[in-house]
Amino acid sequence: MNTQHLNTEFESLRGPLKSFLLRITASVADAEDLVHDTYLKAADKIDTFRAESTLKTWIFTIASNLAKDNLRAKKRWVENVTDITKAAALGNPKFFQEALHLRATSPQGDFEIKEHIAFCFTCIAKSLPLEQQICLLLKEVYEFKVSEIVQIIDANEAMVKYYLHTGRSKMMQIFDQRCALINKEGICHQCSELNGIFNPQQNFQEEVVKIEMARVAEKADKEHLFDLRMQILQGIDPFESNAAALQLHHLEHNRQVMENYLQKKVD
Amino acid sequence: MSTSKAITVKTTFNRETSVSIDIHADVAIVWALLTNAADYPRWNSTVVSIEGAIALGETIRLKSTLDPKRTFKLQVKAFEAEKQLIWGDGQGNRVYTLAQSAPDTVTFSMVEKIGGLIFPLYANYIPSFDQAFDRFAADLKKEAENIND
Repeated sequence: MNTQHLNTEFESLRGPLKSFLLRITASVADAEDLVHDTYLKAADKIDTFRAESTLKTWIFTIASNLAKDNLRAKKRWVENVTDITKAAALGNPKFFQEALHLRATSPQGDFEIKEHIAFCFTCIAKSLPLEQQICLLLKEVYEFKVSEIVQIIDANEAMVKYYLHTGRSKMMQIFDQRCALINKEGICHQCSELNGIFNPQQNFQEEVVKIEMARVAEKADKEHLFDLRMQILQGIDPFESNAAALQLHHLEHNRQVMENYLQKKVD
Repeated sequence: MSTSKAITVKTTFNRETSVSIDIHADVAIVWALLTNAADYPRWNSTVVSIEGAIALGETIRLKSTLDPKRTFKLQVKAFEAEKQLIWGDGQGNRVYTLAQSAPDTVTFSMVEKIGGLIFPLYANYIPSFDQAFDRFAADLKKEAENIND
């Protein structure tokens, strides 16, 4: 393995690596820095790569370790993150001015319900313990095997299974209680509320039935609905999609709100 | 094989309830379930909530379905990874023990002893723990084996 080979492989992985790091950190700047740092570390250590795993697994191991270092001192978010950030957005006229400007001018300024579902998952998954969040993303979104995740997070198989099961169960429980797309009693309607603001000409019900998770919600079990939610994330690159600009703006808003919220709790 | 129902032994000054059960799962999974405070309500039908960190010397605040209006402040008195966990207060201790009884089997035991010199004065006001102990052990077995599969 040499640097040239690494460069080729790294470029093919850059997209998923960057989106993985964004979903871990919820910060565009941190994700970009971590991709850069991952490359530098991989290039520096390429001589030590012994092909005991795939290069992809090895690179994600470096990235996960850097992300863990980055997040070690930061508090985890809370399950009702979307309530807290919604209240902050409603009290901040600048947020909607900026968002509507992006909607009107950016080539990536679309609002799409699927994109918002993926964005919502990113925010709520930050309430899980970090190991659970990392394992869940690696397995459910980036399709690593348990044996590969064992290498990436340097834990034994039993603990990886524990993190996966617990993280998945917790997220299913949260969405079942909150998400009005899958539960009529769900308390969160942000998809439809935001769609009404950004796509006022659209009929939300007509749009939502195009999403399998919402279409089958009444008949499908929670496990299947979660799998469908994960399929939505798999199909979205949060930096490249037509809705990227709007969702990244929204994510940055939420990150700032949550950091202030968590800091006030400490104070 | 150890899948007994909870047993309570009473004396004048104390009461001891115990249960044990064989769990076909990796001991690390059972230990993780026992020591992740925030996750208890998801899998354990006897726990309303546990706040705090289950770590040596830490104090946790536990609400049980036996008496949901009451919060028990308990100190973690022993924490030996994958072997033993003890928490308790001035009235008594709860001891969790894990033992590898076969390559794929962990024997989980839980014992709670409460008592003291004034125990006879309030003994009749403390509900039986037997049913809750049976449920705790069954819930732990079910969840650990589900994860292990």
